[in-house]
Amino acid sequence: MGLMKAKNEQMPALDSTPTPEDLPMLLRGLHSTDAELRRMSARDLMQFPESVHALAAQLEVEQDVVVSEAIVNTLAQIGNAAAVEVLIPFLRSENVFIRNETIEVLKGLPAVVAPAMEELLSDEDADVRIFAVNVLESLRHPKVVSWLIHVIDQDAHVNVCATALDLLAEVGDESCLSALTRVKARFLNEPYLQFVAQMAEGRILEGKGIPS
Amino acid sequence: MTVVTKPPITDEDFRKFREFFYRKTGIHFDDSKRYFVDKRLQERIEQTDSSGFRDYFVMLRFQAQGEELQQLINSMTVNETYFFREEYHFACMVRSMLPEIASRKRAGESIRIWSIPCSSGEEPYSIAIYLQEFWPDIVNYDVEILASDIDTTILNDARRGIFSKRSVQNLPPKLLSKYFTPAHEHHFQLCEDVRSCIDFNRVNVTDAADTRRYRKIDLIFCRNLLIYFDDTSRRMAAESFYDALSPGGFICLGHSESMSRISGLFKVRKFQDAIVYQKPVEAERGLT
Amino acid sequence: MKKVLIVDDAATVRMYHRGILKQAGYETDEAINGVEALEKAHAEHFDLYVVDVNMPKMDGYSFIRRLREAADIKQAPAMMVSTESDEKDETQAYLSGANLYVVKPIKPDQLLQCAEMLMGVEN
Repeated sequence: MGLMKAKNEQMPALDSTPTPEDLPMLLRGLHSTDAELRRMSARDLMQFPESVHALAAQLEVEQDVVVSEAIVNTLAQIGNAAAVEVLIPFLRSENVFIRNETIEVLKGLPAVVAPAMEELLSDEDADVRIFAVNVLESLRHPKVVSWLIHVIDQDAHVNVCATALDLLAEVGDESCLSALTRVKARFLNEPYLQFVAQMAEGRILEGKGIPS
Repeated sequence: MTVVTKPPITDEDFRKFREFFYRKTGIHFDDSKRYFVDKRLQERIEQTDSSGFRDYFVMLRFQAQGEELQQLINSMTVNETYFFREEYHFACMVRSMLPEIASRKRAGESIRIWSIPCSSGEEPYSIAIYLQEFWPDIVNYDVEILASDIDTTILNDARRGIFSKRSVQNLPPKLLSKYFTPAHEHHFQLCEDVRSCIDFNRVNVTDAADTRRYRKIDLIFCRNLLIYFDDTSRRMAAESFYDALSPGGFICLGHSESMSRISGLFKVRKFQDAIVYQKPVEAERGLT
Repeated sequence: MKKVLIVDDAATVRMYHRGILKQAGYETDEAINGVEALEKAHAEHFDLYVVDVNMPKMDGYSFIRRLREAADIKQAPAMMVSTESDEKDETQAYLSGANLYVVKPIKPDQLLQCAEMLMGVEN
């Protein structure tokens, strides 16, 4: 009893890193009735980019949040165009957890997500447009600010504009100023929107050395 | 000689930066920290050859690997390692976490504690000493202490167990004389009895193949590491720790770290001495 | 003085709510998601929670559910403030344990009226 003496053996390199022969077994494991097995299978499928469709299919029906998390993280690790393609529809998910995890993961894959952004920013569902603006937060793309300006100029929905303004308060520059004036005029009756637009303006003007 | 004056950080720049930093790390700088923050920001602006705050901020936000953010976090936080650092976690361990863990153990099952990163060994050795001194129930359980770091050189240092005066200064004098003998030049060596109880191994926490070897862990100390990782790596690490822990196992993060910036997998547990995080016990697993 | 925890991942939303509540004499604190909110709720008492739905790591519904389950947190009313205007979202809020559900964006006097009403209720 008490502190055990260390074994001090080199930790054996576990030979359980999946090999191609394991793929069918892992895909079966993804549908197991055992949540632990589903989770471990989802984790191990990280080595198999070709499994993105199977992962997405399971994510759609998965009830256990711990397994859902593992699936989302595996897709994040695979992180290729196919992974992004299967993830994007989950922005519409009824499941609030999966929706928000999807946003976070897409934020981490800017290069792969960029081509899809314009379409998402003009989606017919205002919620999807809001989530698309959320994704822009970490997007390294020359068009981010101009996309945000386009949103505040064109979007009919106050919350979409407000979300865009929240980001512009951090990344906005002089090119936004006239659009800020226009969006304030469009939503005169919305105090929150006025507040955020004002703040974004103030930050940009201060950056120019103009007291606001 | 030309004198180059650094443009000051404006109020709006400070607020913008503060919001960004809080979002990424959970660390909030109130206005009283203005001088401290401005100084370090200006240092980094200079070091990175940025033309000013705006230029620096754009780079900071968009770097793929987050290297500059890591540097910045480094400069904004205090990073020394020493014995009994953040002692409230050890107090929490013996007062609250171990009793719960022990109550779930079957006869013959050992308690497994993992310190990662262990750096030069102060943390795992602190755990060992603390358990011997302050956990009377240790006589009833076998306790294994595993310690890992990505740096093999530092692991070798850790095995040797020779520490500077600075490193041991937080130890009560009677513990210092009980467990250490003086070594060269104001250094101290930890006794072989304790050194031999720590199982040191090299691990890269973002490498699933490495962490896969750690299972049925009851308590993980991962303090002041994840704050330096980008979001994707943090998630990977959280998943690996989740897999490593037994149901009901605990994880402690550093004093300015929080699971809120890492993962929602763990249950928040508040104890008298600390807030820690727990892998749900089987019955509590969340369903969507 | 009554203290309100504002839970929202958008910095400007938190600032906006904070400004309104502070001006009315309330003390406030903030969290960017449900995990941070739980940590703060464990660390000190709040008289009201103003909670967004969509947040990373832990959403608003999950936060309120865990809040209500926590035996060691003294309970307080929670109002959800969300961009979602669907009836089922409102139902989900009440099922999670929220006391009120309001669609964003919220006007200052609306926020204050809701806050006053909820904090006047003995739990």
